[in-house]
This record gives sequence, structure tokens and C-alpha cells, in this order.
Amino acid sequence: MTGGRRRPLPAWFSGRVAAGLAVAVVVLAVLPVALDPYTHNLLTLTFLAISGALAWNWMGGYLGQVSFGHAAFFGFGGFVAARVLLHESIPPWVAWAAGAAAAGLFSVGAYPILRLRGPYFSIATIGLGEASRIVFTYLEGFTGGASGLSLPIDPDLKARLYWWALGLLALVAAASHLIRRSTLGLELLAIKSDVEAAADAGVPTALRQDVVLALSAAVAGATGGLSASFFAFVEPNDLFGFDRSISFVLMAVIGGVGSVFGPVLGAVVFVALRQWLVASYPQLYLGLYGGLLILIILFEPLGLTGVALRVARRFGYRARPDLALGSSAARPGRPASEAR
Amino acid sequence: MPVLRAERLVKRFGGLAAVDGVDLAVEEGEILGVIGPNGAGKTTLFALMAGSLAPTSGRVWLDGRQVSGLSAHRVVAAGIARTHQIVRPFRNLTVLENVTVAALRGAARTGSHPRALAEEVVAFVGLADRAADHPGTLTLAGRKRVELARALATGPRVLLLDEVIAGLNPAEAQRLAGLVREIRDQRGVTVVMIEHVMAAVMALSDRVAVLDYGRKIAEGSPAEVVRDPHVVEAYLGSGAAAEVHP
Repeated sequence: MTGGRRRPLPAWFSGRVAAGLAVAVVVLAVLPVALDPYTHNLLTLTFLAISGALAWNWMGGYLGQVSFGHAAFFGFGGFVAARVLLHESIPPWVAWAAGAAAAGLFSVGAYPILRLRGPYFSIATIGLGEASRIVFTYLEGFTGGASGLSLPIDPDLKARLYWWALGLLALVAAASHLIRRSTLGLELLAIKSDVEAAADAGVPTALRQDVVLALSAAVAGATGGLSASFFAFVEPNDLFGFDRSISFVLMAVIGGVGSVFGPVLGAVVFVALRQWLVASYPQLYLGLYGGLLILIILFEPLGLTGVALRVARRFGYRARPDLALGSSAARPGRPASEAR
Repeated sequence: MPVLRAERLVKRFGGLAAVDGVDLAVEEGEILGVIGPNGAGKTTLFALMAGSLAPTSGRVWLDGRQVSGLSAHRVVAAGIARTHQIVRPFRNLTVLENVTVAALRGAARTGSHPRALAEEVVAFVGLADRAADHPGTLTLAGRKRVELARALATGPRVLLLDEVIAGLNPAEAQRLAGLVREIRDQRGVTVVMIEHVMAAVMALSDRVAVLDYGRKIAEGSPAEVVRDPHVVEAYLGSGAAAEVHP
């Protein structure tokens, strides 16, 4: 049908986004020469948070399956990595990769929850997260129980984690973009809009959701492994904690669940707020996130991305449609108000 | 040999048999109308043939290959596509993207490019100038065309159309009826259509099957079926047949 015409560039290729990503990665990669250790470490944690938020968004944003249980994958990845890290002869990246793979496999075992949609899925993921927390607290042989596991402290490794975390982030950000632009992304958005109609259009809905959950969980597991190395300490109630699951949701929602790169913004704001508030008002910060969440869902379901787009539109900027996901978690694909 | 065959299909919901032992044979290249009063089991029959529901018992064959028991996307891959009575476009995607999702399957079968196939099908149903719009901005007739295009883009052997004409004004109904005929004549797709608009059923169908209370009560040419006393009674009540055709 396109005979004679030159083959067009593949649909997932976008010069502007690719160039933007490349510049950001290069700048961040050389930035540490100008950083004090505190900021250096804070940025490492921010990169991990962004990676997790972007991977969560593949479920919550692309597929419309809002997970309140990503701590299960973060925690499992973290503990598997920690167990491997205890063998000091093994290079750390092997441990992190093992954590990622283990978390991905763990999510495959949790596939029955993906036969649920919407609020039912979300409730099931709360169960998954909490069950994991309790089970792994009792599995003392593996996790060290409530007192956790200490890892060998290696300041040099901790400093180098910055580039590992940045590498992971670059990978996850590129994947976010590629998935959105690929036919897989189109299928995911179709599933988000109407899972039965997607199946009637020939989309293998169950398989697609399993694959995306496994990828998302593997990234969460990788961030778990890297942060195990960062803190040199892992403890089930921390890694599997419910507020960790909530943090994935918060970062994505603050940034904008309906967008591809919104969670980046959300994660940056989340980590900065946490850093500032935990120090000054340790009791207040969860309440503040709660208030923020309510405001966003009520007034700007696209989160900070939505606010930014409004401002940009004032100045005559038109948003690239492929950087949006069509609808946010707060306003899913099929508005009830619309007449048939 | 019929292209699509249903054999003693039964679907029970609790004690209610929505489809109660229906046999159906659809010949290659024909348009078969399926009519019947509300609640007769027409849409359930479609759901069974499209894999949206698993039958309680009975079998469905496409080209001699059993497709009952397969999940919906596998039935699509085998060559049966359906539309929904209440249109279900993907509201977060444009018209072209809606159709591209389905064209991923159709292109795999025909060896063409999904995007090219989607563009061709969108043009075929008359939506070329609305390809970049979201379905929510279209009229009901427009959204029914999207529904039709999406089913067509899967490259089906058999298309199951659930009331694509009902609910439209006469001019739009006429155009969509024309489109259904073109799907058969130009694309060689066999069509099974549920329809309440009798004028459309009578004009389009080569044969008509009539369902009532989950059973097939009549089958034949449109002219034969409307004279069938069972059909008249199903629509107008018992005893009516004697008054209509004394």
C-alpha cells in the first residue's frame, strides 16, 4: 500500500523527546562534580522515586489499573537483592538485576488480581501489599524478621549508586515513551477504556495486562534493590509498608496520571516535600499529602502536568497529543455522564 | 459447507435459558437477519458466537474449526468479529486509533500495515474526514460507523452486527444499510445481523432467522418468515395469526 514511498520513521521515534531525554541524562550524569554529598544522595533517591513512579504509571496511567500494592514488588526485589548483596563476591548489579527479576516473577504469580478491574483491582492490591508485609515479617530466615538485615556499608558504592539510579531512570523514561508510542501502548489505552471492547477488537487483554504488571513490578523491584544498597539496611515493615505503596500512587497522581512524563514531576515534588516536612513536621506530612490528593482529584485530575499545560496554553503552546494518555485515573476512559 | 455453524447452543443464567438449543448455519457470502421480540436471546446468541460468553452447552464452528470455548480475542483471530448494540468506542483514542487497535489483528492476517489498513477501513465506512477526531464528538450514526470499522478492521470472515441501524433517523439508516450491503458485496464478508428495523431486515437479508424465548421458531426468506404463523404469534400474541392471515 505504501509501495514506492520511502519507509517512514517508526512510529515510536520522536526526535524531540529522544533529544530531550539524552540532554537531561548527560547533564545529570556530569552534575555531581558540582554537588555536595547531601544533594548528591538526595538526587539518587529522587531518581529511584521517579523510576518507580513512571513504572507505576504503566499500570495506573496506561492501563487504568490503580495499584495500591507496589510495595510488595519493591520489598520483594529489595530483599532478594539484599540476600545476594550479602555475598560480597557477587557484583552488586547482579543483585539488583536478581531483585528486579524476582519481583517480576512475583507479580506473575499475582496474575489473578488482574482479572479484576477498577476499584476491585485496587482493593486486591491492598491485600497483596499487606499480605506480603506480614508474610515476609514472619519469614525470619529470609528477611531477618522485624529486626531486618544489615548489609555491609560501602560509602564508595553509595556514591556510585547515583549513576546506576540515573541509568535505571533513563531506561524507564525511554520505555515510558516507547510504550506510549508503540502499538502496545495503543492496546493498553484501549484496555483502559473498555476491556471487553478491546477483547472484541482482538486484543489479548489478559496477556497484555500480565506483561505490563510484570514490567512495572520488575522496575519497582529494581528500585527496591538499589535502595537496599543505598540504606545498607532492609526491614519488612519499611520495605513492604503501606505508606510505601501509597507513595507510588501519590507521586503519579500529583504529577498527572493521565500523562506520560507527569510522574517525573510528581516524584520530584514528592521527594522534596518529604525531605522538608519529615525534618520539620514529622506528624504533618501524610496529612498534607492527603489534602494535596483531594485538591488534585477535585480540581485538576491531570495533576501538576494539567496545571503546567494550562499555563502553557495561556502562552499559546499546543501540547503534543501523544504525551497525554487521554484520561486520568480520576476521570477514566468512559465518562458516565456522556449520553450514548 | 456453511462458513459459520452453531450446534444446539445453550446458555443458562441460573434457571433462565437465554439461548435454548439454537442451531444456525450461515452460508458464505450471505446476509442473515436475526430477529425476535425483546429478550428473545439474540444478543446472547451473538455473545456466544463471538466468544464473549462461554456456552453452557453446544458448539460453534467457523470453517469447520471449533471456536466455542475460545476467549474473545482468539475468536477474533479465527475470523469472527462483532459490534455492540450500545456502541463502545475507546473514548480516549481518536477514530483512526480506535480502528488501528483492531487493524493490528487484521493486518497480521492479510500481511498489510496496520495503519494503512485502518486508514483504508476508516475511509470505507465514510469517516476519512473525522479520522483525527475523538468518537465523543461524532453523532450516534458516526459512532456506529466507528463500531463497524473496528469490527471490519480485524479482517473477519463473518461479521456479527448487533442493531447497527436501530436508533438512527431514516436517512442515516438508509446509508448504513447501504454500507452493510457493500461490506458483503465489495469485501466478501459474510454478515449476520440482529435488527429491529424491519424494513432494513427485509431489504438486506437473504434469509431471516427468528428467535423467541431462546429458541429458533422460524427460518427462511424474508417473505416466508413474515407469513409464518409462529412469528406472527411471537410478535403479536397468541391467536393473532388467525386474524392476520385468515
